[in-house]
Amino acid sequence: MGAILKDLLKYNIEFRVGSMLIAIVLVMSALSFVSPYPPSDTFVVAPDAPPSAAHWFGTTSRGQDVFWQLTFAIRNTLAFGVLVAMLSRVLSLSIGLLAGYKGGWIDRILMSVNDTFIVIPLFPILILFYFVLRDSMSTLLLAVIMACLGWAYDARLIRSVAMSLKAREFTQVSIYSGMTTREILVREHLPYVMPIVFSTTMNNMNWSIGLEVTLAVLGFMDINSPTIGGMLYWANQHTAVVAGIWWWIAFPIALVVAAFVGLFLLAVSMNEYIDPRSRLARMGGGAR
Amino acid sequence: MSAAPILQVRNLRAAFRTHHFGVRRDVPAVDDISFDVRANEIYGLAGESSSGKTTLIKTIAGVIKPPLELVGGSARFAFLPDCESLAQASPAAVAAIRWSKLAYIMQGSMNVLNPVRRIGKTFEDFALRHIGSAGDFQQRVEAHLQRVRLEPSVLRSYPHELSGGMRQRVTIALATICAPDFIIADEPTTALDVIVQKDVLAMMRDIQGAMGASILFVTHDMGVHAALTDRLGIMYAGRLVEEAPTDVIFRGALHPYTRHLIASLPRIGDRSERKSLTGVPPNLANAPPGCRFHPRCPLAVDICRVQAPAMTELATQHRVACHVVTGEAA
Repeated sequence: MGAILKDLLKYNIEFRVGSMLIAIVLVMSALSFVSPYPPSDTFVVAPDAPPSAAHWFGTTSRGQDVFWQLTFAIRNTLAFGVLVAMLSRVLSLSIGLLAGYKGGWIDRILMSVNDTFIVIPLFPILILFYFVLRDSMSTLLLAVIMACLGWAYDARLIRSVAMSLKAREFTQVSIYSGMTTREILVREHLPYVMPIVFSTTMNNMNWSIGLEVTLAVLGFMDINSPTIGGMLYWANQHTAVVAGIWWWIAFPIALVVAAFVGLFLLAVSMNEYIDPRSRLARMGGGAR
Repeated sequence: MSAAPILQVRNLRAAFRTHHFGVRRDVPAVDDISFDVRANEIYGLAGESSSGKTTLIKTIAGVIKPPLELVGGSARFAFLPDCESLAQASPAAVAAIRWSKLAYIMQGSMNVLNPVRRIGKTFEDFALRHIGSAGDFQQRVEAHLQRVRLEPSVLRSYPHELSGGMRQRVTIALATICAPDFIIADEPTTALDVIVQKDVLAMMRDIQGAMGASILFVTHDMGVHAALTDRLGIMYAGRLVEEAPTDVIFRGALHPYTRHLIASLPRIGDRSERKSLTGVPPNLANAPPGCRFHPRCPLAVDICRVQAPAMTELATQHRVACHVVTGEAA
């Protein structure tokens, strides 16, 4: 694993840039633990101060330091993305592997559910959830809802791999040796799909963070817990752009874009690592 | 021969049965096959592609699933005397003998190793449950690997790090780790070049000799049969047409199909042209009546077209299914 990472860092510029951006984002979120100000306190510093030595990213109209506020925001947003990714991975892995391996009516039922989730328009559903739940809507609850909505594409992908694994000789031998379905899926098939899962995880995080930011900007979220979207929401509420408080908008956007691009580059380079054919194409070899 | 048979196959029939849109199709891939495999012998099954070799051994090993169905007959193992065939046995009984008593080296056995699992893990996955104790498992695996001339370090390798021959040896070690009484090997050497093949075959013989197992060895490669097997059964279109000790098949085959098969083999120093039989193997969904070989048989007479010949023992240990040959001898 260490050797792979070293190789990727050395030869793959996407991976290098991606991990650098993610490192910045991670350092930012780690800094939240040493923040001098509690995240929800307002008017702890002079409002509307531009970036300076004392306040690197300036201060907001609500009297908060943008830099320290941002550390909390990115931490929560990342945690949200990771949580959604984890939960939806559990769903998509178990459903994809089971449907692909079992086939028959189990596959048909699971995949009809799967296809339903693929065609459901997500955004109106999420807004509907917000209007139904209102004040009881929390970041955690939203993460669970998003996970339940975001597993379907990847379950289909994993199912297609599982179907091909099912026909391989080692699966036949596993059955012959008396392994149970659970053992075959967990021990024989799961390691095979893990690289694909890694790559899709990052895309899934991008998707969920994007939606979370969108919902929060529009105010369809718990706006009191600091997230990137929440910061932008408050900036809009205080008409930061009109008032010329550009730093309140620019820095959160820059940081979340860094997270996006970083995750995307990591997913791309991971993909290339998984698929030797694209690696070969980059080296100028392979079928032309 | 005094040794009791370890496997008795009697009138075994298996067919692929499909039922689509109201149309029934029956493909009798294994038709009325009887033979014995004795303890401690290597029994070879030969025949061209689509002659039903793999279907036959799948039926014997009980790994059949629709559309393949057992139609009739029995395949009885000495270590499971109460059971007509594994296809009908209870899952618990089958689970108890698989791997520990009956090993099955599958076709394309180069690929039985999971590419993303280390070899040692694969051993644990497949064999540990059949050995029971986890304590000395590691030592046992390493000792057994030594028997197929592999270093213990392969246990930490992934399959792609090994050569084809090494992988093949791992596969054989994997199948024989529990010292099974009976090993079914379905074309285990087909993908290897002849040098590695020779090595692997010698090793299979060694292991078989050391552990006293019987092997049912299936391949279309007559050279492998000549090198390895004690007795040989020749299959044609889902039926057994001739069975004899291997050297008898090669020197004095009686069935016209076997004779052509042997005559087609190249011989060093012989420059004469190899003649091929006219025609192609029959479609089993629409098999010719009578003897299935008669459309291509140079000796065919009227009775061949209506009545299927039975296996008849002409000499000790030499059975043939052919009206003409048995008629001449009678």
